[in-house]
Amino acid sequence: MIALTLSLVLAYTDQEARSLFTEANDAYYRQEYPAAIEKYQRLVAAGQGGPDVLFNLGSAHLAANELGPAVLYLTRASRLSHDDDIAAQLAVAQQRQLDQVIGAQETEPFLQRLARAVDDRLVTIGFLVSWWLAFVLLVVFFRSPSGRRTVLGLATLIVFVIAIALGGVVGVHAWVTTSVQEAVVMVPTAPARQFPGENAKIAFEVHAGLLVRVMEDTGRYLRIRLPNALEGWVEKTNVTPL
Amino acid sequence: MARTGSALAITVLLLAAGPVLGAELEFYMTVDRDKVGTEDTFKCEIVVSNAPEGAVVQFPTPQDFEVLSRSESTQMSYSMGSGGMAQIRQIRKFTLVMRANRAGHLTIPAAGLQTAARTYKSDAIKLEVVPGRLAPDPRSQPKPPPNPFGLPPGFPFADDDDFPGAQPGSNPFDDEPGIPKSDSDLFLRSSLDRPEVFVGEQVTLSLLIYSRMDLMGVDSVTMPKLEGFLAQDIASPTNLQPEERSVGGVRYRAYLLRSKALFPLKPGDIDIEAAEADIASGVYPFSQRKMHRKSNALSLKVKPLPAGATNVGKWRLSSTTNSTDIALGEPVQLKVILEGRGNLKAVTLPKLEAPPSFRVFDPQQTEKSQITKNQVGGQRTTEYVLVPQQTGRFEVPGLTLEYFDPESQQIERTATDPITVVVRPSNTGANAMAAPANNGTQTEPAARNQLVGGGLKSLRHTATFSEPRKSFWSVAAFLPLAIAPLALSLVLAVVSFVRARAGQEDEQSKKNKQAKAARKRLAQAEKLAGGGSTVEFYAEVDKALRSFLEARLSQNVTGLTRPQLDEVMKSANVSEAVRGRVLGVFETCDLGRYAPGMGDASARQRALEDAVHAMEVWP
Repeated sequence: MIALTLSLVLAYTDQEARSLFTEANDAYYRQEYPAAIEKYQRLVAAGQGGPDVLFNLGSAHLAANELGPAVLYLTRASRLSHDDDIAAQLAVAQQRQLDQVIGAQETEPFLQRLARAVDDRLVTIGFLVSWWLAFVLLVVFFRSPSGRRTVLGLATLIVFVIAIALGGVVGVHAWVTTSVQEAVVMVPTAPARQFPGENAKIAFEVHAGLLVRVMEDTGRYLRIRLPNALEGWVEKTNVTPL
Repeated sequence: MARTGSALAITVLLLAAGPVLGAELEFYMTVDRDKVGTEDTFKCEIVVSNAPEGAVVQFPTPQDFEVLSRSESTQMSYSMGSGGMAQIRQIRKFTLVMRANRAGHLTIPAAGLQTAARTYKSDAIKLEVVPGRLAPDPRSQPKPPPNPFGLPPGFPFADDDDFPGAQPGSNPFDDEPGIPKSDSDLFLRSSLDRPEVFVGEQVTLSLLIYSRMDLMGVDSVTMPKLEGFLAQDIASPTNLQPEERSVGGVRYRAYLLRSKALFPLKPGDIDIEAAEADIASGVYPFSQRKMHRKSNALSLKVKPLPAGATNVGKWRLSSTTNSTDIALGEPVQLKVILEGRGNLKAVTLPKLEAPPSFRVFDPQQTEKSQITKNQVGGQRTTEYVLVPQQTGRFEVPGLTLEYFDPESQQIERTATDPITVVVRPSNTGANAMAAPANNGTQTEPAARNQLVGGGLKSLRHTATFSEPRKSFWSVAAFLPLAIAPLALSLVLAVVSFVRARAGQEDEQSKKNKQAKAARKRLAQAEKLAGGGSTVEFYAEVDKALRSFLEARLSQNVTGLTRPQLDEVMKSANVSEAVRGRVLGVFETCDLGRYAPGMGDASARQRALEDAVHAMEVWP
């Protein structure tokens, strides 16, 4: 609530936001990456960080060779906008990333890919429309004389199937969004321990820019899982959730 | 200086016509200090003045002291005495370099002077001897004159005579070797030119033979394991060249056996073990003698480098190119020269960050090591070949090398200048295009302006400054909207059910109404029971009963025969008694309408009662 209030108070007018955005771009082209990042961050903090601002912010971090923030903001941008530029920029960041996860699945699990691929707004609206239409047709079906019921019943069935399918996609999207929590390693090197604690043996190390899945949160430590199912506990301060 | 001894005056008559020797005889013994260490040497001087002819000095033979060397000098002086008499004074001075064998309050016995007339004795000298070594007496340390022509320290390739440690044995860090007690005539000494250095800084290890004997040669030299160092030979002479040196007042010939430049690899105190050598002395083949000698061990303090420092020394970077205006496809040769002092092999040059439009081949390196005045250094030439892939004006950035200079103890920086290269389109392409295509002449393909994809994408220059929207399913209205049709359908179903239930109640009431109407009709027939048409009376009773049955059976019974009616009632689970009574009434009605004698009042009343009874007993 406080953050929302602050963002409303600190929000820039459209003209101010555009001016700040241009200043940040100019700083980027002068290779003054810290200055560019600071200006983009101001837009994000004011609640005006759409996919374009996030893309430029991630690109500035990438140009400054700060892989952790680069992957974080570019991935956030990709979740908001399916764009070839964002994918290409992310590919460059992943090429520079130090960790090679051996035995990782080449692609995401099906449900996550499905959730990423669909436009949740479109699917949700489609679900609601078809769902309502199916029930209207059902009522009409029961009210209609027996002679017209065959065609009407078939149409009702088809609309119901469509509505349930779209509802399933909406459910998958909701599940992936709420249950599958991902994070990006922000520090150059983060030790992953066998159990949460300073004295725990270090199982492996992960490096800036690696995208991991968060499985458990104990407060100070997070249990992370790599795409090849390798798990370890890292300090919360070493990663940033998407 | 302690001076002891008695001055003896002897008056000698001199010849009147000429000079005479000095009449006084002096004999005394002195030492140059009162307190010494067991490892120190000191000088003991025995002075005889105006000794008569044939006088013999009897040197002390101390048990607690070792006489390392003995030398003698004579001095004559001439002076005019009173009365115009000339006097000649002869002074003989014997210098003994001595060293105490143990600590304590020791005494040097008296020396003696034996003349023909008598024997003179000097006083014995008492000395305090402490273990180890005392600081040298500043009186015995002559200061060298300053060099007015010396270059300032740190100047590249300056005359290193100005630097401490450039010449072993001539610098303040070169500790004067102690003379071993057992091998004072021939010993081996290791020395470092400075007591502490930084990691990667050069320190010079020298191994020398100190000898007062004739040397034939050195058979073998075993240098210590120099763990923790990178080592490089500076000098390893095959012919021994002597150099006169004085050690504690004793003159030695020093021979340099080995000299090595050491570069420490890690900080801390590093011990260097003793070196060993087999030395042959004497004159071949008569007095040849082989001796094994072991030098002293050394310790070096190595200081860590400041944070961020990797290269150590004093370096200078420069660069040259063969051309800066070239055609597309022509190579640019860029030479980067690193020169200076230090461990050249340990210096890491930064990577050349050429523009992406240049293809950079692996550089070739040549190194030339130089040793100037015991300082290791050299020159490394790195030659890059850059081939432009695009036309235009490009800047090859300069290289910057950071290094730690141990002399200034600061991180210094040396850099090459950036180079601007202009790449013009190649005219090879025009020649190739002018050549006939079908003459079979092979021409070199023209270099092309290569426009390669990849790299970072351009920034967005237009943007929507909106808060990233939430998923629509997370909006509060989504769930009610999704549940609403289901809930509405349920409501509709319930309403329909209720209405259906309500419809069923109407049917029952309809039946009841019909039954009620039937009874009314029967009451109408009852009015005809007293008088009126017989046919109408029985027809009215018949209609009343049929109306009652239609209400009860929910079925039209008009036109049904009595067996059919019986069958309908049976299917409606009407008891046989009721069925018989109903059918009896219909039979009475038929008889009443068509048979004579049924029109009297009693018959009508009986028919009416049967009909009422049939309705009443209906379940």
